[in-house]
Amino acid sequence: MLLIKIVGGINLKKSFMFIIGFMLICSLFLSGCSDEGEKSSGSEISIGVILPISGNNATDGQDMLNAMKMAVDKVNADGGVLGKKLILKVADDACDPQTATTAANKLVSQEVTAVVGGYCSGATLPASGVFENAKIPIIVAAANSSELPAQGYENLFLINGLVPDQAQTGADYFNEKGAKKIAIIHDNSAYAKDMADFAKKAVEANGGEVIAFEAINPEEKDFGSLMTKLKSLNPDGTYFTGYYAAAGLMVKQFKEKSVPGLFMVGDGSYSPDVIKIAGTEYASDLLVTATPTANFIPGAEDFVKDYKSKYDTDPGPFSALSYNSVNLLVDALSRANSTDKDALRKALKETKGFKGIGQEIEFNDTNSLNSSNFHVMKVVDGDFTLEK
Amino acid sequence: MKKFMKNKKQSLSLLIIVMLVLPFVLNIYWLDVLTFVLFYVVLAQGLNIVVGYTGLLDLGYAAFFAVGAYTTAILMTTFHWSFWLTLPVAFLFAVVAGVIVGAPTLRLRSDYLAIVTLGFGEIVRILAINLEITGSASGIYGIPRPTIGSYVLSTQKDFYYLILVVAILSIIIVYRLGNSRIGRAWVYIREDEDAAEAMGINRIRLKLLSYASGAVIGSFAGSVFAVKMTAIAPLSFSFQQSVMILLAVVLGGLGSIRGVVVGAALVIVLPEILRGVDDWRHLIFGVSLIVMMVFRPQGIWPAKHEADDEDDLEEDESKDKKQSVPV
Amino acid sequence: MDIFLQILFDGLVIGAFYSLIALGYTMVYGIIKLLNFAHGDLYMIGAFVGFTLLSLVTGDGGLNTGLLGIGMVFIITMVIVGLLGMGVERLAYRPLLLAPRLSILITALGVSLTLENSSMLGWGASYKVYPISLPKNGFEIVGAQISYAQIGMIVLSALLMIGLRLFIDKTIYGKAMRAIALDQTASSLMGVNVYRIIALTFFIGAFLAAGAGIMSGVYYGTINFMMGFIIGLKAFTAAVLGGIGNITGAMLGGFVLGIVEAYGTFYLGGSWKDVLAFGILILFLVFKPTGILGAKEMERM
Repeated sequence: MLLIKIVGGINLKKSFMFIIGFMLICSLFLSGCSDEGEKSSGSEISIGVILPISGNNATDGQDMLNAMKMAVDKVNADGGVLGKKLILKVADDACDPQTATTAANKLVSQEVTAVVGGYCSGATLPASGVFENAKIPIIVAAANSSELPAQGYENLFLINGLVPDQAQTGADYFNEKGAKKIAIIHDNSAYAKDMADFAKKAVEANGGEVIAFEAINPEEKDFGSLMTKLKSLNPDGTYFTGYYAAAGLMVKQFKEKSVPGLFMVGDGSYSPDVIKIAGTEYASDLLVTATPTANFIPGAEDFVKDYKSKYDTDPGPFSALSYNSVNLLVDALSRANSTDKDALRKALKETKGFKGIGQEIEFNDTNSLNSSNFHVMKVVDGDFTLEK
Repeated sequence: MKKFMKNKKQSLSLLIIVMLVLPFVLNIYWLDVLTFVLFYVVLAQGLNIVVGYTGLLDLGYAAFFAVGAYTTAILMTTFHWSFWLTLPVAFLFAVVAGVIVGAPTLRLRSDYLAIVTLGFGEIVRILAINLEITGSASGIYGIPRPTIGSYVLSTQKDFYYLILVVAILSIIIVYRLGNSRIGRAWVYIREDEDAAEAMGINRIRLKLLSYASGAVIGSFAGSVFAVKMTAIAPLSFSFQQSVMILLAVVLGGLGSIRGVVVGAALVIVLPEILRGVDDWRHLIFGVSLIVMMVFRPQGIWPAKHEADDEDDLEEDESKDKKQSVPV
Repeated sequence: MDIFLQILFDGLVIGAFYSLIALGYTMVYGIIKLLNFAHGDLYMIGAFVGFTLLSLVTGDGGLNTGLLGIGMVFIITMVIVGLLGMGVERLAYRPLLLAPRLSILITALGVSLTLENSSMLGWGASYKVYPISLPKNGFEIVGAQISYAQIGMIVLSALLMIGLRLFIDKTIYGKAMRAIALDQTASSLMGVNVYRIIALTFFIGAFLAAGAGIMSGVYYGTINFMMGFIIGLKAFTAAVLGGIGNITGAMLGGFVLGIVEAYGTFYLGGSWKDVLAFGILILFLVFKPTGILGAKEMERM
């Protein structure tokens, strides 16, 4: 009896609402049907792509997608793999955990053979769970929080160096330069906080001292009082692990306040925009820990040229990694000699010395890279150069 | 068709049967979308108590969603509790959180109150980011699956049915509350607070009750969200989330249970249908908030007028005499 | 001592921005008791309109226009955004002036979403770098480093605020505003065109917010479509702190909040700064909702 009251009286005059309801349900059915049609047919292998196509991180997401498309076009032009053409199915995760699971489920329902992508660690964490359940292998090209491999998923493969390695690279550089008193700042994002934690450990393991461990709100612009605090602590080095917009402002205010010591940022801030925001003068001598972009990789000249001619812009920080992720997948598919997911996962796991742009891929027990490829870059005359 | 529509019992049973059968028809993606619709139905019903019935604007409702999600997640991962045992604790925390937000704001004008709830929502989010126990910025992951006996809830369908049950329960609860003496007192407070007080309604107690009930429903949604997602992060409990829940309530019709269900469906399904015009979706929502308020403040499917269901009212009143609640 | 002074100054700079935006909140609130959520977004729109105009004037980033050109851009931007503020009032708020409070609050939220997302569609989601930046030199007083740009920001906002104060105290329009704030019906009976004065209030509020927006763009160097949200919240906090509806209170509240935040960052750490700001807001609303300078009586809805 109770249930009867739930929806309440159906008023005839308002029955148009029911029509809307029916339309919604119908659209569910229709979409359900139309998706059936999209399933990979015999002559194609569909690969899911999960990236932030909308929202604040859309710029990097678009760069990564471009590189993936390039790789796919090339493979298809060479006759495809296993005699089949590759097609990409793109789902937008908007760097948001909830959107990411829906996007992941969309790819699962489209019965993709494998997935590439993953930019924000925060969104990739829940999405990887969906793929693990569906037993679909995913090659994560950019996201690199240490918590991704810590989940212990067997279908999750990471080809970007992990956060601890990057933090270590930064800490070692400080150590080499004799910088012992280090201030660490993050922006409260999952990735930046993770890296800040590891940087702290690494600095302390090197015998240094972390004199400040601070967070900023990346939506704000005034870090004046934080810089005053840093200055009063007189650091030998400052390491900011967050994203580029805040990094640019911070570099500028760091120099304006003449805080002493080196200033280093992580690969979330590896973007020409940092230099643009801070201004060439203030950005000079800025240090960045990152996997070098294709521009700095010997042997990647062709890739850079193709990318530029195709998209009329330089490759982004994760373009090379994204390109590699597709090619690694193609390599694994041909080694597995099948689109069977178990066989594919095995083949990925057994990858030995796969040569991508600027990296050789081989997975360890946690399906992440055995060796990291982090370097320290330095800004000289308004441009990044390889420092170490 | 008309004959059929007249019979609410039949149309309702049909709706429930359709909901029960849908998982076997839909693919996993649309099932996931539908699952989120149901999450929003629960959340929007909870907020409906506060905003719709009592007329208190709450811009930090996602905080209660967070309370439930984090309580369940922490108890299940750190202390290895069973999912079902975390629910009473989440209930308790939600009541406490509801009272914490409610108590200081009782004497405030409604627009001050909106900003206090907004501030509270932000504080909860910042706490979740800063505290170690909530996993700081990356949140909590690897939340175990709940079990019923020896059956482990793990598939999409399992969680769909779980949230469907929660949604139906929350609708029943909100409906019953709304038609009870408490509910009428809430509406009275919304319409004229001073007059309500003059008529002997305990304003403070009822407002607190409104906050606490809303908080409990939101927190249940959070608990289920935690086990469904297996990973939760502060990002899911942002101001944006609070606004979307509010949007579901406002679009559907403040105080209207059926309207809020439709509102929740619209807020979740529209963006999925409108893929490709992603960037436009929030603009569309913003404009629709204005247009709705200016031209149709009662919502798409407004609450039924009292006259429409006198029989219901009578029935409720007779019940109220038996279980009269001191208010 | 030098640290103390330096933090004080850091706080003053950010406080100047809070004050300018808080003025708009407090004026609108004082007159029609509306909490205009969209106010922070007018600040953002101001920054973007200024960005577009400055890009036109300065061409490819070179600073080849004189102060006069930049001054003109400032004024034009402020007028454009002021008109936008009036438009928002006309379309979204006026039809609801007599509706329940809840409706108009929700509308304000809708306006905020609309402005943010129109800006995102129009100017893009990524951060924009302002075409001009300020000279970097400065001076030192007892160990505190202060740049001319900072002095300029504080002086400019002080000028705008004094101008507003004079406008409200000395002109007939200001008198009408004060009258409406006291009693709308009575003012209307006395021959004040209430709608026109409300529109004027929105114009001035948006005008000042746009000024703050363009100043922020020039001073910090970057803008993006979400920049109005958090600063809008903070400015509202400042308005409450000073006593909402009170012009002098809003100015005071902005500076006080800026300074409290600066010391908070220094002593508590950046992670807790926002908790501090919102905590103060809630404490004030609960224990002294009339703020530092607010009127004594308070009403309840």
